Amino acid sequence: MDNSILIIGAGVAGINCALNAAKYGTHVYLVDDTPSIGGMMARLDKTFPTNDCSICIEAPQMYEVDNHPNIDILTNTEVRKVKKADGGFSVRLIKKARFIDEEKCTGCGACLEACPVTVPDELDGKIGGVRKLISIPFPQAVPNVMVIDPDCRYGRMRDKGACVGGCVVDCSQCRECPIALCVAACRKEGKDAVRLWQANKNINIAVRSIVIATGIADAKPPRGLYGYDLYDNVVTYTQFERLMNAGGPTGGQIIRPSDRKHAHRIAWIQCAGRGLEGGVPYCSKVCCMVATKQSIITKEHDPQVDTTVYYNDLKAYGKGFWAFYEKARENGVKYVRARPYDVFEDPETKNLTVRYEDLDSGELRYDEVEILVLSTGLVANSRNERLAKILKIQLDKLGFFKEKDPISAPLETEVEGIYVCGGATGPIDISESVVQATAASLKAVSPR
Amino acid sequence: MTEEIRIGVFVCDCGSNIAGVVNVPEVVNYAKGLKNVVFVDEGKWSCSVDALSSMQESIKEHKLNRVVIASCTARTHEPLFKQTVKEAGLNPYLLEFVSIREQVSWVHMNEPEIATQKAKDLVKMGVAKAALLEEGEEIRLPVGKDCMVIGGGMAGMTAALSLANQGFKAVLVEKRPQLGGLLNLISTVSSDKELLSAEEIVRGQAKLVETHPNVVVYTNAEIENVDGYIGNYSVTIKSNGTRNNFDVSTVIVATGMRELNLEGKFFYGSDSRVVTQLELEGILKNNQLGDVKNVVMVNCVGSKNETRGCCNIGCHVSIKNALAIKRVNKEAKVYILYRDLSMVKEEHFHIDAAKAAGVKFLRFPDDRYPEVTKDNENLVINVYDILSGRAFLLSADLLVLTAGFEGDETIEKIKGHLKVSSNAEGFFQERHIKLGPLDFPADGIALCGCAKNPKTLKETIEEGMGAAMRVSIPMNNGYIEAEGIVADIDLANCNSCGLCWKRCPYGAIRVNENKEPQVVKALCKGCGLCAADCPKECISIVHYSDDQVLAQVEAALEENPADKIIAFVCHWCALGGVDMAGVSRLQYPPNARLIRVMCSARVSIKFIQRAFDLGAAGVLVAGCEFPTCHYISGNYAAEKRVNRAKKILAKKGFDPDKLWNIWCSAADGPKFANTMREMVRELHLAKEV
Repeated sequence: MDNSILIIGAGVAGINCALNAAKYGTHVYLVDDTPSIGGMMARLDKTFPTNDCSICIEAPQMYEVDNHPNIDILTNTEVRKVKKADGGFSVRLIKKARFIDEEKCTGCGACLEACPVTVPDELDGKIGGVRKLISIPFPQAVPNVMVIDPDCRYGRMRDKGACVGGCVVDCSQCRECPIALCVAACRKEGKDAVRLWQANKNINIAVRSIVIATGIADAKPPRGLYGYDLYDNVVTYTQFERLMNAGGPTGGQIIRPSDRKHAHRIAWIQCAGRGLEGGVPYCSKVCCMVATKQSIITKEHDPQVDTTVYYNDLKAYGKGFWAFYEKARENGVKYVRARPYDVFEDPETKNLTVRYEDLDSGELRYDEVEILVLSTGLVANSRNERLAKILKIQLDKLGFFKEKDPISAPLETEVEGIYVCGGATGPIDISESVVQATAASLKAVSPR
Repeated sequence: MTEEIRIGVFVCDCGSNIAGVVNVPEVVNYAKGLKNVVFVDEGKWSCSVDALSSMQESIKEHKLNRVVIASCTARTHEPLFKQTVKEAGLNPYLLEFVSIREQVSWVHMNEPEIATQKAKDLVKMGVAKAALLEEGEEIRLPVGKDCMVIGGGMAGMTAALSLANQGFKAVLVEKRPQLGGLLNLISTVSSDKELLSAEEIVRGQAKLVETHPNVVVYTNAEIENVDGYIGNYSVTIKSNGTRNNFDVSTVIVATGMRELNLEGKFFYGSDSRVVTQLELEGILKNNQLGDVKNVVMVNCVGSKNETRGCCNIGCHVSIKNALAIKRVNKEAKVYILYRDLSMVKEEHFHIDAAKAAGVKFLRFPDDRYPEVTKDNENLVINVYDILSGRAFLLSADLLVLTAGFEGDETIEKIKGHLKVSSNAEGFFQERHIKLGPLDFPADGIALCGCAKNPKTLKETIEEGMGAAMRVSIPMNNGYIEAEGIVADIDLANCNSCGLCWKRCPYGAIRVNENKEPQVVKALCKGCGLCAADCPKECISIVHYSDDQVLAQVEAALEENPADKIIAFVCHWCALGGVDMAGVSRLQYPPNARLIRVMCSARVSIKFIQRAFDLGAAGVLVAGCEFPTCHYISGNYAAEKRVNRAKKILAKKGFDPDKLWNIWCSAADGPKFANTMREMVRELHLAKEV
C-alpha cells in the first residue's frame, strides 16, 4: 500500500488537513477542482469575531502548502474514479486543461493585458467585477499561474484545438481575438506558456486514505426573493462581503450596484428564504455572525451609515460571539426581531422598501434602505452527489457527506479509509473546520 | 582571518515586467560598482529552470559567498531562491532578496528614470545588508514520544487513546476517582438516530483507555508542579495520596467545564424543585422523575449578558430533556422559555419533534426574564411571550434552569504551571481563534474540549483527536525544527532586567538559576520583539541584526535623504499590502525605500532614530492590521514603541509627526498606496528622487 493520502478540496479545511499530515511525515496529494487553492476563505474580507483579515491569515498557510516538500498540489483537477486496492485506494484524477503550461507561467500578467475579451466575474459580477478570458483567480492565488476560461463569449473552445481554429467561431475570423493575443504577448515576454491546444490529462495515483474536504456553498436566493434578481441593489451576503473587501472589485468601497454611489442605509435580512420554496430549511450557524461582522465593518468604513439587521433567532454560539454582537450594538447597529414580508423598489432612486412585522411589538412597519443584503445560509455543494457516487459513500438528506456514526466515530464514512471534514459535513465556521481537518488528518495518517 | 566578501547580484527582467520600466542594464552596471560585488548578471526570467542552474554555476565559478536577488517578491519567491543557493553549496541565510517588481516597476510604470533610480537604491541597500549577513541554520530540538493529558473526560480520553493507538505513551491525569468527566453526570446524548445512553458511551471509552498498554491513568490526581518545555517537561503529581514524578515531551489540556453556580436565582438552592439541566440529567438517569405534572425550563440563565456569552448547548439540551420527560411521562406539561433557539442543521428539526410531542415554547424578551414567585408553596412563573404578545402564569412542580458554563476550578493552577492564559469567562485561550484552535502559543501544548468553550459531545471528540494530532507531529518526527531566523543573547551586557522573557509571546526565553535569560532556539519564531526592546542591546536576530538593518538605512539615505522615506514593513501583512498594490498596478510616489522585517515589533527606536539622524524626510512603520499578527501581538508592541519613539524624537528636536505608522492588511493595496501619497503630501516632498 502506498503511504500517500489524498485530500479532495483545498479550502481552509483541506489546507489544514494537508499541513498537519505533511508535517507528520506523510505525503499528500492536495486536489482542488478550481484553479487555485484557498477555497471560500480566500475571498472573504474579514473573519468573525475578531475581524482578522481573512487572506492575511490564510495566505501564509497557502504559501506553506506550496513550499512543503510532502505536498503535491493539483489544481483544476477532479477525482474521476476510485477503486479499493492493496488495502488503500487507486485513484484516477483528471487534470482539466487550463491552457497554460504551469511550469512556465510566472503569473506576470502580460497576457492578461493583451486579452481583449472582458467578461463579468462569476463571484463578483453582480457588483461590477470583471475579468479577462485569461486570468488569475485572485491576487494571492497558489499556484500563481493563469487560467483560460474556455467559455469565450463567441462560443465555447473545444477540448482540443482550443481557441485558434477550434472555437465554434473560427478565431482567425474572430474580430475580438484575431491572432490569439495572449499567445503572442507571452512569447513577447520570452515565455511560451499559453497552450491553446492543451488537453485534459489523466493522472493515476495510489493512496492509503482519502479525506473529503470539498467545503460548502452559499445558498443562491430563488429569483424574486425579497426582490433578488429583480432589483439591482439586493445582494447576497457573499456578494456584500466582496463589496467590503479591499481586494474586491470595488477596492472596498461599499457602493450600490445600480449607480455605484456610496450607500448610507443598509439592511440585512437573516434566514432569508427560510420556510419558503427554494429557501434553506435549517439554521446555517454562521450567518448571524457574518451579518454582525459585515455591519461592524460597514460602520468602520463610515460610522454615519445606518445599519439594521432583521433577524429572528440570534445564533451567537461560539467563543467571543456574544461579545461581538454586543460590540455591533454599541457601534450603533440596529437589531430588529422581524418577519420581513416583501420588498419594493423605487424605480427612480432604486431604493428598497422592506415591509416587515416587528415581532416585539407585533406592528407592521416599513423601512427604506439603499442596499439590502440577504443572508441566505449555507447549502451542500452540488458536486457532492457525483463525488459520493465515485467514492461509493452516502450523502445525508441535506446533501452533505454522511458520517458513519457521528458520536462514536466522527468524521468516518461507511468506507474504511475515507474521512470527511469541514463544510462537507454541514454548516460550519472556520475554526471548527480547522479542528475537524486536524482530527481527520490524524485518522488519515494513523495505522488501520 | 575574516573571509573576503564576494557578493553576486542577480537582476531579473521578469520578461518586460521589470525591464519594461526599469533600465535593467543600468542597474546591472551600477551594481558592478558597489563595494564587495564581484559578479552581476541580468536574467530574462531568474526563476526559470535554466536561469536557476546558471545561477548555481555562477556561485561556484565566481566563488560567491553572498547573493542578492533583485526580482519580484520575497513572499512568494524567496523559498525557491533559498533552495537554489543551498543546492549550490551556499548557506541559504546568505541570500538577500530585493523586490524591484512589486515595489518598483509595477507601481511607477510611467516614470522609468525614477523607477530605475529606486531600483538602484534598493539593490544598494540589499548589497549593504548582504555584506553583513551571517550563516544561519535550522535548529532542532529532540522530542520524545510521551504526552501528559490533563483531564479524563471525553476530550482527554479521546486524546489519550488517539496517541496510544499511534504507539505513543499517554499519561492521563484525572482529578476525580473515575474517568468520564461531565458525561458521568449525564443521562442521554442525542444522535441523528436516537438517544444514546451516556453511561454506555463513557464506560466503553474508559475501558479502552484503562486497558490500553500505552496509557497510564492516574485518578484522584492533582498536579503539583510542571517544569520545562516541549521535549522535556518534568511533572509532579499526587494521586491517591502518593506523589509521582515523571517526564513527558508534550502536554494536552482537557480540563473541561462546570455549570455556573446559580445559588439564589429563581429559588435555586433553597427549593429542591428548582434544578439545573445537569441535575435534571441525574434525575432522568436514576429514574427519579416521579409523577411530575408541570415542568418549566428557563434557558439562558447566567448567559448572554454583559459577562458571559451563549452557552452553545443549552437550547439543544433543553429540547432533548423535554423530549425525555415526555417519553417517561406523556401527560406532563413541559414548557421551554427561551430567548433565541439556536439549533443547527438537523438539530433544527428537533424543534419540530418537540412541538409534535406537545412541548410548548414561549419566547421572552432579552431584557425581561420570567419572574418566579411562590403562591402557597407553589412555584409560579410569570413570563411574557413575545410571539403572542401576552403574559402567561405557569405553575411548576419542577423548574429547570439551563445554566451557563465556566471553566473547571483547576484552571488557575494549570495556567500557572503551563504559563498559558484564559479569558474572562474562565476558559483557556487558544493560540488563534480561527487557525490555531487547538494550540497554545508555546509549541508542544495542545488544548481541547470544553476547557476551551462549551461544546457538544461530537465536537469534543473531534477536538480530542485534533489535539492528539497537534502533539503527535513533533513526537512522530522526534524533533521540532525552527527556522534559522532566531534570537541570540549576548550576556556580556545583560543586567537581568527580565523584559525579554516576560514579553516573549512564545515562552522561548527562559531564565536560569543565575537569572540569565537563555533562548530556547527551537521555540523562537524570530519576531525580534525582544531584540528591539532590550535596553542593553544584547539581543541579535539572525538575518535581521541591528547592524544589518542599519546598513540598509544608511545605504538608502546616502543620497538625497531629504526626499526619502524609510519604510519598515512586516513580512506578513504589510508587505502583502505592498505586493497587492503592485499586483493591482496602483501608482504611487516613489519616495519610500522599504526595509523588510519579519514583524513590526522588530523595529527598534534606534533604527528610527538613525534614519532621522541621517536626514530622512520621514519614517513609516507598517505592520499587520489589528488584531491579526503573525507573532500573536507584535503589532501591539510596535504601536506602543512608535508612540514612545515619537516622544523621544520630540525631546531630541525632531518633528515627531514625521514618524508614521500604518496597520495594513495583506488585501489592502489601496491603503499602502494612499499612505504613500499622504506622506508625500503631508511631508511636502519633491516627487523626483
